Amino acid sequence: MNTLVDPLSYRKQSDAVRSRFEAMKQRPVVLSVRNLHKTFPTPGGSVTALKDVSFDVYRREFMCVIGPSGCGKSTLIRILAGLEDSSSGQVLLDGNPVSGPGPDRGMVFQSYTLFPWLTVKQNVMFGPRMAGQKGAAVEGEARQWIDLVGLSRFENSYPHQLSGGMKQRVAIARALANRPRILLMDEPFGALDAQTRCQMQSYLLQIWKNLDITILFITHDLDEAAYLSDRILVLKANPGEVDEIIEVPVPRPRTPAQFVSPEFIATKYRIDHLIHPETAAETDSIPFPRMTVAGDDVE
Amino acid sequence: MKSDLIREKRRREPWFAARRDLSPRRASLLGLLSFALPLLIWSAVSYLPFLWHPDMELQISADRENVTTVYVAGDRMSQDFFPEFQESVRVQNKALEAALASFDPAAEVPNGAAVRRANKKILRHLVPVLISNGWLTEEQAKDDGAIYDAWGRIAKGEAEPVRPRLSDENRAIVAKNWTAMSKLSAVYDSDRFISVPLLSLVPQGRPANPDYLPAPHEVVITGIKDFTAPPEAERPSMWQRVGHSIRIVFGGFLLAALVGVPIGVLCGTYPVFSKLIEPFTDFFRYMPAPTFSTLLVAIFLANDAPKVALVFVGTIFQLILVVSNTTRRLEMPLLEAAQTLGAKQRQLLTHVVIPGILPNLYNDLRILLGWAWTWLVIAELVGVKSGLTEFIETQGRWRNFDSVYPVIILIGLVGFFTDQILSAFSRIFFPWTTEAGGKPNPIVRAILFIPRWFRDAAAERIPYRPETRTRQTGEA
Ligand SMILES: Nc1ncnc2c1ncn2[C@@H]1O[C@H](COP(=O)(O)OP(=O)(O)O)[C@@H](O)[C@H]1O
Ligand SMILES: [Mg+2]
Repeated sequence: MNTLVDPLSYRKQSDAVRSRFEAMKQRPVVLSVRNLHKTFPTPGGSVTALKDVSFDVYRREFMCVIGPSGCGKSTLIRILAGLEDSSSGQVLLDGNPVSGPGPDRGMVFQSYTLFPWLTVKQNVMFGPRMAGQKGAAVEGEARQWIDLVGLSRFENSYPHQLSGGMKQRVAIARALANRPRILLMDEPFGALDAQTRCQMQSYLLQIWKNLDITILFITHDLDEAAYLSDRILVLKANPGEVDEIIEVPVPRPRTPAQFVSPEFIATKYRIDHLIHPETAAETDSIPFPRMTVAGDDVE
Repeated sequence: MKSDLIREKRRREPWFAARRDLSPRRASLLGLLSFALPLLIWSAVSYLPFLWHPDMELQISADRENVTTVYVAGDRMSQDFFPEFQESVRVQNKALEAALASFDPAAEVPNGAAVRRANKKILRHLVPVLISNGWLTEEQAKDDGAIYDAWGRIAKGEAEPVRPRLSDENRAIVAKNWTAMSKLSAVYDSDRFISVPLLSLVPQGRPANPDYLPAPHEVVITGIKDFTAPPEAERPSMWQRVGHSIRIVFGGFLLAALVGVPIGVLCGTYPVFSKLIEPFTDFFRYMPAPTFSTLLVAIFLANDAPKVALVFVGTIFQLILVVSNTTRRLEMPLLEAAQTLGAKQRQLLTHVVIPGILPNLYNDLRILLGWAWTWLVIAELVGVKSGLTEFIETQGRWRNFDSVYPVIILIGLVGFFTDQILSAFSRIFFPWTTEAGGKPNPIVRAILFIPRWFRDAAAERIPYRPETRTRQTGEA
């Protein structure tokens, strides 16, 4: 791979891409993370999950956070959502510090978190109802959100009657129904099969484009990160530290056809290099003895 | 052709495959067998004389000299003892035989009155045989004239008992006794009654089970008789007793649920309550409820209150712990999702915790109701015995076990059907649970037929959209 790709070619941006990033950075910062630390007390001493994490997310940006398993991605997004307290540091939403969970930060979890006792429509109406809204207007709006994720036929179904991909679409509609400032997604497609995941990615991109929303998306899948995001925040493990924020040079609108474009491959290569700096060399050097499994007719 | 294929497929389906569901036909069949087999075993043990039958049921009994234990026809004794019993009577007879054979009606016997009394008893030993052969009615059991007459007819061979048949030695004894008696008089006359000791009949019997295992038909017949008997002044009817028992169990249980469910839900939701309440509850449940019975009587006095209180005490501590555990098992991500959707603390309880645990809570209460049933007998013994338990106690003491079994079975049936009905309704109350999708068992299906019928009748008027209820697996 390294003979085919110039390691730093991911930094070469076409004029269109460069001007898109310049325009993005002119927009206001929705979410600002300042010097975030998180340590967990455990029986064997405290574990540092996040160390000095700082970054900004601009309005209408699609940002991915990627990193090896256990590097603190979930911890980060849970702090942003207010489900976990940070040990030190600040999270600012539109300049105001956040404390505790709230409907201004919608969240889609990896595990299915639809309320099983509510129908699809009632699930989507949950947020507005908690805010005290009632009546036909709420229901009408819920229908629109369900329409948006293409599940009008299932508005009266219960979650156990839906497939995994459909459940996550409802979860997205449910989070959007609160009109959040930012949508936080923690590996939302991680449990789906490859084909469904691909569909869901295109779906999400469409929704993102049509609704002008801001998304912070966690993944450990290189393709997913390179395909979806404007910028990719790469976390290092032990402790979770910001390694690099990559500006993805792949032009928009994105299509699966771009998976083989040089920019795409260069981006992936860079992330791979950051996350697994040693893997290529290591796997080559593992001694693997020759064995016969198939029987004695093997030459 | 096609049916051949189906038959072939059915033949190849294994009966033993780990965790693999059986076909509905087989499942129903096994469900039926699960009840039929115990009944079959009970019938076999009762009706096949070569199975078990460790006792002898006496058909003809006898008095023995110097032995106080009195056996009468219908009594049971162990088969080991029976030959010994017979032998002692034979030995007794042997000593008397010579005197009886040489009986001279003209000779006066001293001490005649006592012997006459004993002889009259011996005559009456034939009464059960005479009654079961239909020669004597129950009312004639003390009619010595008729009994005397029957002895004569049997001795002369004019009548032959068949239920039971007399053994040859007993027929000989009847003949010898009659020969002596008839020398005095051909008909019964208390003045001209023999004063030389008669021979006792040798005990006869048939193999039987102990009285604590009556046969199915006896239980059914007695059960019907007991349950159709009208109430008397001091004796409530069986159905009144059933109602009383149900009131005690359900009263205690409902009170426990009313108090325990809110406490349990609070404990499962807020660690404050859990840490404050659960340790003591955990301790208290190890103190057996019956140990409180005298205390409860002192507090609640007589009547039903202490009984209901016992069911309450026996249920509530378990209930609190089970409910709090169920509440804690609600997946945390649901609470977190609700919070990110803007739910406040109070809304979490009312809009997430409570609806989220409802199906499991319902199931818990079903199981705990079964638990409450187990307190029934002890509760009804508290203070003044009452309800079904009083009946069981009394009849059991008289060894009327054929009266006891119908009650025990009825208590089981009430509990079982309550549980099945509640389980059937669970599908209607909680259509979102995955279990609601599976196929219910035949009992549940039968129970569900009624509400479904009403629903379908209503659906003919309201437009019904079946596609929203079908399970979807593929992507739309
Ligand atoms: N509640 C917790 N208590 C102790 N350690 C935790 C807790 N949650 C996460 N961690 C630790 O923090 C690190 C980051 O976890 P996480 O954020 O879940 O990683 P990721 O989502 O990137 O796979 C891991 O080493 C994990 O063991
Ligand atoms: Mg994670």
